[in-house]
Amino acid sequence: MDSTPTLPIPISYISGRYLLFSIDAVTYLRREHHICGVLIGTLPQIPQQNVFLGLPLELMPEEARLLVDKGVACIVDEAKAHDGMRSLLEEDRRQYLRELESQGQHAMRILADRKEQQREQTLRKLDEKKAKAQAAEVAKSAAGAEAAASSVPSPAEKDGPNSTLDIFGGDDKPSSPSPATLTNTPTPQQVMGITPATSYPPLPHPASLACELLSKPDVPLSYPVFAHLHSHGYFLSPGLRFGCQYVAYPGDPLRFHSHFLVVSAEWDQEIDIMDIVNGGRLGTGVKKGFLLGGPQKRRDEVDAEADRIDTVRTFSIEWAGM
Amino acid sequence: MVPQQTESPSLELSALTKLIDSSSASGRPLAATTIQILHNLQHQHLWTSLQIHDISTPSNATGMGNIEGSISTAFDTPPTLISGIPPHRVYTHPDEQLFMLEKGIQEDDLQPERLFVIPTAQGQPWSLRRMAAVFDALPSLESSQREPVISTEATDTVDSEKAKKLDEYYERKGHARVTKEWGTKRVLLAMVNKGMGGEGTVVYYIVQEGEVKPRQN
Amino acid sequence: MADADEDAIRGTAVQATQIETDLSDETQDFRLLNHLNFLTDTSSSSLPRRGEKDFEPNPTEFQADVLSSSRQAMHNALAYPRLHNPKNQVIAFYAPDGPAPPPNVEQDTGKTTGRGASVSPDACVYVPNPKGQYFKTMGQADRWGRIWLLPEEALYLLERGSLDIRWPAEVTGGGGEEGADHELSIPMSLQAAYARLMGRGGLTLERFSVFTGLRRIGYSIYRAPGWDDLAEVAAPADENRKDAYTQPLRRGPGLAGILGSLFDWIHDPTSTSSTAAGPVVGCGIHRNYADVYRKLALIPWYDPTLATERDALDTPAPFRVIFHVYKPSTSIKKSARPPPDFRIAVINTREQTTAPTLPQLGALLESTPLDPPHGEKMERQMYMRLRHGYRNVILAVVDQGVTSFLRVADAAFGKEKLYESKNGPSGPKNSGNYRKKKR
Repeated sequence: MDSTPTLPIPISYISGRYLLFSIDAVTYLRREHHICGVLIGTLPQIPQQNVFLGLPLELMPEEARLLVDKGVACIVDEAKAHDGMRSLLEEDRRQYLRELESQGQHAMRILADRKEQQREQTLRKLDEKKAKAQAAEVAKSAAGAEAAASSVPSPAEKDGPNSTLDIFGGDDKPSSPSPATLTNTPTPQQVMGITPATSYPPLPHPASLACELLSKPDVPLSYPVFAHLHSHGYFLSPGLRFGCQYVAYPGDPLRFHSHFLVVSAEWDQEIDIMDIVNGGRLGTGVKKGFLLGGPQKRRDEVDAEADRIDTVRTFSIEWAGM
Repeated sequence: MVPQQTESPSLELSALTKLIDSSSASGRPLAATTIQILHNLQHQHLWTSLQIHDISTPSNATGMGNIEGSISTAFDTPPTLISGIPPHRVYTHPDEQLFMLEKGIQEDDLQPERLFVIPTAQGQPWSLRRMAAVFDALPSLESSQREPVISTEATDTVDSEKAKKLDEYYERKGHARVTKEWGTKRVLLAMVNKGMGGEGTVVYYIVQEGEVKPRQN
Repeated sequence: MADADEDAIRGTAVQATQIETDLSDETQDFRLLNHLNFLTDTSSSSLPRRGEKDFEPNPTEFQADVLSSSRQAMHNALAYPRLHNPKNQVIAFYAPDGPAPPPNVEQDTGKTTGRGASVSPDACVYVPNPKGQYFKTMGQADRWGRIWLLPEEALYLLERGSLDIRWPAEVTGGGGEEGADHELSIPMSLQAAYARLMGRGGLTLERFSVFTGLRRIGYSIYRAPGWDDLAEVAAPADENRKDAYTQPLRRGPGLAGILGSLFDWIHDPTSTSSTAAGPVVGCGIHRNYADVYRKLALIPWYDPTLATERDALDTPAPFRVIFHVYKPSTSIKKSARPPPDFRIAVINTREQTTAPTLPQLGALLESTPLDPPHGEKMERQMYMRLRHGYRNVILAVVDQGVTSFLRVADAAFGKEKLYESKNGPSGPKNSGNYRKKKR
């Protein structure tokens, strides 16, 4: 988990949005660059809920821009990059399939072991339940006991292990793929099918193919405030659901409550004084400050957007309590 | 039905309207707001030593020919500030509060501090530039308003231990002013409700320069 | 201001902390996932309580350790692979050019046992041997028994680990569906599926987020006619339409028209018979208050039951219904779906940066069917009626991956004649909002 992925990290530009599919990239950017993004995908191990979400990770254009400006990431036209699937060498294709198969076998073995343990455990539980049911039978009618016995969940359906199979952890890939046994009669119970998270491999690292790299992401006028707060150590999230542009956290949002509801304005942009009052009230209601700020320079006054970041001034607003 | 009087009764003006009318400043557009808020601070919140300060915004100099006699909008009129001493502390930075708690210092032990107030009215347009101008003008205003230090010797029942703690506090505060860890410049933003059906309610918000973490209580 | 407002703020503070305990609101502590037993607890949908968070970082090792373990847990949860047990593996193929007959179909063309050609031209993934529960509510069968999936359906199933989509042989070479050697075809990665399916047939990331967000928690969700942003009403509305909905009060169509008619009323004294000339209530004998109130009802009001019906395509994007949604309890036949339980418009905050205008919202509401309050509870409670409204639509506002759902309803205050009810209004006083945040 503490590994550093190959830099620059390719950010997938897909249909106008910035996405990350590599877990190592996600962990690294969060740890080293305070970029969190928003997880938008379904976790395959618990797909029926919205509390914990999984890959891909959506980045705000601001986040993508910041990383590109830092030289940490590059933007890849992912649709174009996947045209590379057409020109895979036969040898690479077969090699990739062999690797997948060997990982599938590996996964199968692990799961078979786990399942065996599970089965034993379930049988034990079943016995306990039966014993209980019998006890209940003595006390009450037999009907209730039958219902209890039939409500034992079947263990066969779900095949997820309790902790992670680190198949795609990167480091412990099987170095020598086992000889392929590509028989035409598929023998079930043999190989797990795998849907990998990323397409690299079989595609070559996209940063090596300059032709698919895109220019820096376009950012809204609020970018200087975003970058200013980020440079001061804040972690930033999209904030509309809290009634602002960004939510600023003093540390990783995994562990810390946010401090500010952030709204950006241009230096001479007219602000209704009522909006300041509304913001102050909104923030105080949830024990957060309302942070209003902006760069002192307009876009037409500077050569690059980056030049506006150093001119940002911010103001923290809280209800005075009087 | 009440029989119609031959002459309609003239309504008594409110005390506040009389105050605004009688004030010499009533010729200027923002003055009524300033006086109304001053009045509110004085009588509802019991502030003392109230003063009015005029500051000039640097943006005025660069503004396009502010011709004499033209109707100046609220936007390019230099903001007027009020200052005064509140009966109780309005704001304590969370870290300062923690320090006071550790030292066992009560707010009442501390010297009252002058606080600056930006008087505004609902619907008035503002900008970051204007806000920054207020903050930029603060240091010179504050230094001109240094309160004479009330000698602690005056009270003869001096608890020496407490005095020591207070000394520690003021030393720490001086240090915090340099490091900006207890926040930097701060003002009170006052907005008077003057919109449709506005009844003159005044609301107060603390505004501080930079990212100052919120209070938790 | 001091006292009353202080209470108000304290009050919201209390409420806010309650809202804060909504688990999906903020970033979750993934350490909680480690405690979930995915294997045995499939039945219980109870979720772990959120982790305790700190106010600010401090230099303690304890805090660093907790953060590190949180991150590790997150890493583990996100690294969980998508595996397909051969026993229930469902294989699908990506069809870059959309629905097409199987390649070896020449001799089958005469076959008349087609199962309906209702496959959408936007479908681009097909399942040769469909099995499993998902195809009851998703996909469309072609005459060769294959199920065709829309991009959002295919991507959702792949993402949750329920579908193994393969690159077609014509793209990657090697095995395809034919020849039973699909083992030689390359599985599509999650990334590849996004790269190929997102943006197809009008699918945006925001629409997909709403689709999966509701699918995950059991709703059935389908594209509505308004899905295609550019789709317009086939024929311009006929001129008679207006007449069919003549209003008792002269005003323009829709919610926005009410302001116009109010304006007219003020400036056109002939439009009312009694007010301009004499007293509002006038002389005469008034036997009860209701009569007096009726005479006092001068201000025109908006009656949603008389609002113009509008074609679902006659509203500008993004304020148009693009999803029809069914509760998990509603039984649906894919071929003949009942009227939806909810209608959803999806709004991307980076493209639509301002709140909708009254005409936009009005048009959107008019494009939904009349759904007046009904049921015994609504009969009794006025505030529930107001809240439910006469037409309703849900706005899914997506801010960079974070979705908020807002229900907007057409409340009819004018229909609630307070003076006619015997007991006065009933129900909790604070529930009079006609707009409520769902979530």
